[in-house]
Amino acid sequence: MSHLLNRRACLRGLGASLGLPLLETMGWADAVKGKTSYKPPVRLGFMYMPHGVIMDQFWPKSPESFLKSPPPALEALRPILNQCLMVKGIQGVSISPFNGAPHALELSTWLTASLPNAAKRNQIHIAISADQIMANYVGGLTALPSLELATMPQTHKENQEGLNEGYYSHCSFRSPTQAMPAEINPRSVLNRLFGKTGQSGKSAATDPLDRQMLDLVIGGAKDLRRKLPHSDQQKLDEYLDSVRSVERRIAAIEYRQKEAALEKAGVASSKRKASDSPPIEVKIPEGDKRSEYMQVMCDLTVLAFQTDTTRVSTYIGSTPNGVSYPELGFSDTHHGPTHHNNEAEKVRKVAAITKFNIDQFAYMVKKMAALREGDGTLLDNCIMMWGSGLEDGNKHTRENLPFIIAGKGGGTINTGRFIDTVKGNQGDLLTTLLACSGVPLDRPIGIATKEIKEMRRA
Amino acid sequence: MSLAAMAAEKQSSDLLVKQQAAQKAFKQDVQKFVANYCFECHGNRRSKAGLNLEVALKKPGDPGFSRKWMDAIANVQAHDMPPDDADQPSDDERQRFLDALAQIKYLSAQDPGPFVIRRLTKIEYGNTLRDFLGVDASIAKELPDEVPGEGYLNSLSPMQTEQYLGIANAALQQMRAETQKRLFGAKEAEVRDVARKLARTAYRRPPTEAELDVLVKVFDLGMTNKLDRNAALRLMLKAVLVSPQFLFITPSKDAPTGEKIVPLDDYQLASRLSYLLWATMPDEELSKLADEGKLHEPEVLKAQTKRLLADKRSRALFDGFGAQWLGTAELKDKTFDAQKFPQMTPELRTAMYDEARLFFESIVRENRSVVSFVNSDYTFLNGTLAKIYGLEKQITGDAMQKVKLTDANRGGILAMPGVLATTSFATRTSAVKRGVWVLEQVLGQRVPPAPPNVPALEKQDKRKVANLTLRQRTELHRTNAVCANCHKILDPIGFGLENFDAIGRWRDKDESGGPIDAVGELPGGKHFSSPKELKALIAARETDLTRNLTEKLLAYALCRQLDGYDHIIVDQMLQTIAKDGHKMQTLISEIVTSYPFLNRRIQE
Repeated sequence: MSHLLNRRACLRGLGASLGLPLLETMGWADAVKGKTSYKPPVRLGFMYMPHGVIMDQFWPKSPESFLKSPPPALEALRPILNQCLMVKGIQGVSISPFNGAPHALELSTWLTASLPNAAKRNQIHIAISADQIMANYVGGLTALPSLELATMPQTHKENQEGLNEGYYSHCSFRSPTQAMPAEINPRSVLNRLFGKTGQSGKSAATDPLDRQMLDLVIGGAKDLRRKLPHSDQQKLDEYLDSVRSVERRIAAIEYRQKEAALEKAGVASSKRKASDSPPIEVKIPEGDKRSEYMQVMCDLTVLAFQTDTTRVSTYIGSTPNGVSYPELGFSDTHHGPTHHNNEAEKVRKVAAITKFNIDQFAYMVKKMAALREGDGTLLDNCIMMWGSGLEDGNKHTRENLPFIIAGKGGGTINTGRFIDTVKGNQGDLLTTLLACSGVPLDRPIGIATKEIKEMRRA
Repeated sequence: MSLAAMAAEKQSSDLLVKQQAAQKAFKQDVQKFVANYCFECHGNRRSKAGLNLEVALKKPGDPGFSRKWMDAIANVQAHDMPPDDADQPSDDERQRFLDALAQIKYLSAQDPGPFVIRRLTKIEYGNTLRDFLGVDASIAKELPDEVPGEGYLNSLSPMQTEQYLGIANAALQQMRAETQKRLFGAKEAEVRDVARKLARTAYRRPPTEAELDVLVKVFDLGMTNKLDRNAALRLMLKAVLVSPQFLFITPSKDAPTGEKIVPLDDYQLASRLSYLLWATMPDEELSKLADEGKLHEPEVLKAQTKRLLADKRSRALFDGFGAQWLGTAELKDKTFDAQKFPQMTPELRTAMYDEARLFFESIVRENRSVVSFVNSDYTFLNGTLAKIYGLEKQITGDAMQKVKLTDANRGGILAMPGVLATTSFATRTSAVKRGVWVLEQVLGQRVPPAPPNVPALEKQDKRKVANLTLRQRTELHRTNAVCANCHKILDPIGFGLENFDAIGRWRDKDESGGPIDAVGELPGGKHFSSPKELKALIAARETDLTRNLTEKLLAYALCRQLDGYDHIIVDQMLQTIAKDGHKMQTLISEIVTSYPFLNRRIQE
């Protein structure tokens, strides 16, 4: 809760007087003018696939064989395996007393390392997620505090163990009681994040007076707030908070436009090096191929990180319901074959789906590895984690959570290795990733008891 | 003493008697039962499966625990609890426990529940913009979908909030000149008066002076920045559109101090009614009645309900409630095996949805009995959907038309393709899912969730089941003791519908080639051997049907789950509805004139 209050307090304090120069001092541009040793910030991104993996096709045979002969599922990552890290021995959250809800909880425990409150199971009542902890810390420095993407509407209805249906399809929680919705339409992300005009021809340009107008609206809601009971005040605050961040984002876009104009006029930007790659072009696919849909969401993540529009993202590559992969030549939805009982045909399908998902992740991180930033690449300054909330979908086990980390986290992560000697849990993993991203924690995340030092560069 | 007062007095003395009986039953049949059979795992500070009954046992009437007791009823009724390896109560003890808990509602204190402010849904928001500014309701289509559920709405990310601003901009662009003229009035009109008129409509209540100050300041902001009068007024209108007063339904006055329960003001009531039946803002007539302070009068409210239901905008009641109730809201996105069911095209899905909608609307608008949901001899088809019925020779064309049905196995929601398809898997039917659907959605029973680690049918030994029909395989699955208790209730109901395949076509043989065996029984031992007979049995349970629909619609109308006191209210409503032949409009009228719909608890 304290994190949330910090951000609220921060935003509230700034609300009225948020001018452009202030953004600069807040670190929108981070670099102090005139200083040449600008260090790009660390960005943290998560990408999810449900239902676990085929274990012998995912886990490397041994630490020694990792680079030379990686497991089949990782084929697409081969060119950049030296920038990846794998760790076996991270246990997921044990889901008792919700034993009948393996799929409702695989996603919602993934970044919280916590279980829902059993007494309030029909409401959202879990814990702030790792990405939102980071957003509370660094979100004030960028146009968007965090970016949430998905490829399926988050409206799945299946009541497992009487749990709120939101648990099924959300991974990101702004507070214990607020699930962060994800954006599934790439065009509207592009429009709103980067002010690009979409094909619909609708201009995303904002009115210069909008920011001040919103400020008056927020101020005017005070009177209404007083009239409402406490629980309603919270709802109103939630809305007003998000209006405030809209206000702030408009200011950030104005700032960027000003900076772009200066650059055009020959005045170098404070933030970027001349050698940095220009922002990537994002094309919205025309057809309905799943690979292209998943890739455009990858592109948006890359662009958001590259332009420092946000520093933390979650991307639910698919949710635990109903995704099918016609490109792979079969129509089964993902969940069906995961209960394969070692039947060869079903195992083959699950392996193909897993590889397909990792291929998209590889597409994203390879793109990052090809973009110059500062003295290295964009990927050097990122921590990108791909993973699933189950290890074995067949039996719903979560002994060793499957995940892959790509990127050096600004030099904090020791990559090019497979470690199979670690014993830790999901909370430990998230705690470590936040520490590597430079986020100070006042308490461990969920079930965490320690940091996993082995992952870090000595 | 007036007749009404006498009736009220009788009602309250009846209630008192019931309260005393409930208290006694709770003491005798629940407390002992829980101590003997539940406390080992759910008491003494133990909370197996997250359930502890200690406090609930001390405060049986507390609304906070009603969900727990409902779960307890479902689990004990299904013999899921106490678990098989624990001491078992006698059948008599079990029955008395269930009977006592069925009365627990009488221990609840009078409570209308809170009127929690909520954000307009995407549909409501689009419709409201349509009625306010004359723009197309699809203007809001890019907003995220809500997670449906008992009053739950997902929160907004900042990016989504910005969509509201984007939509406001687009709506102002789309707004026609004559609409603007109507909203902004004459050139010499006072800005404050323009603001007052706009805010009265958009906020659905008279604005406060402070709220008008804000709007006038926005206008001034525009003028200071050299906008012309109309542009400044448009900026002010934009402020109205992104104000929480527009996006949320909010009270017009401070709640009086010291009161715990207050009636809704007429403006809130107008909104509540209008968003329930139309999914949009109150129209002029409703607003006028609210201004005059007449809307809360029962006769006025009932007349308005009839008027709203007759209007075509009341299709919103199906799109918002009916489609969720029947499950047909899922039709659009549900996956079907493309090889097995190439027929499930978008056109067919739309026709299935429309069939359910037109059928629902016919019952509401023609004020038919709730029973006709189950037993009717007509439906609505077009050429595409007629193929599913085998009526493609008689019915052609894209338009939906009313069709008289001669096959008594058809007609009604149990035999409706949209429902049969949403209660199937992608590749085959599911007797279990259909059984659960009938019990939960039609008869209003609570079915406990499946226990963990249930092996699905797909996991059965291939050689053993190769020649079995789905029914035989399902029955084999039931030999597992953990599953048997529930499945012996669920499956037979679903088997009664096995003649309909996974997209609702009639068949005499299962996919394995074996003949369909539609023999089954309902809890309580009523037997049937075809969909027709199953329908007749269910149609005969009119009280259950009406109670179920009343409870579901009341929860939808209140945007919350029902608690103890609500069930007392429902009992009272059911008497009136039954007296009037279970008519649908009577049911709706009873809901909108009910105590929890008209009042609210002020939360501490």
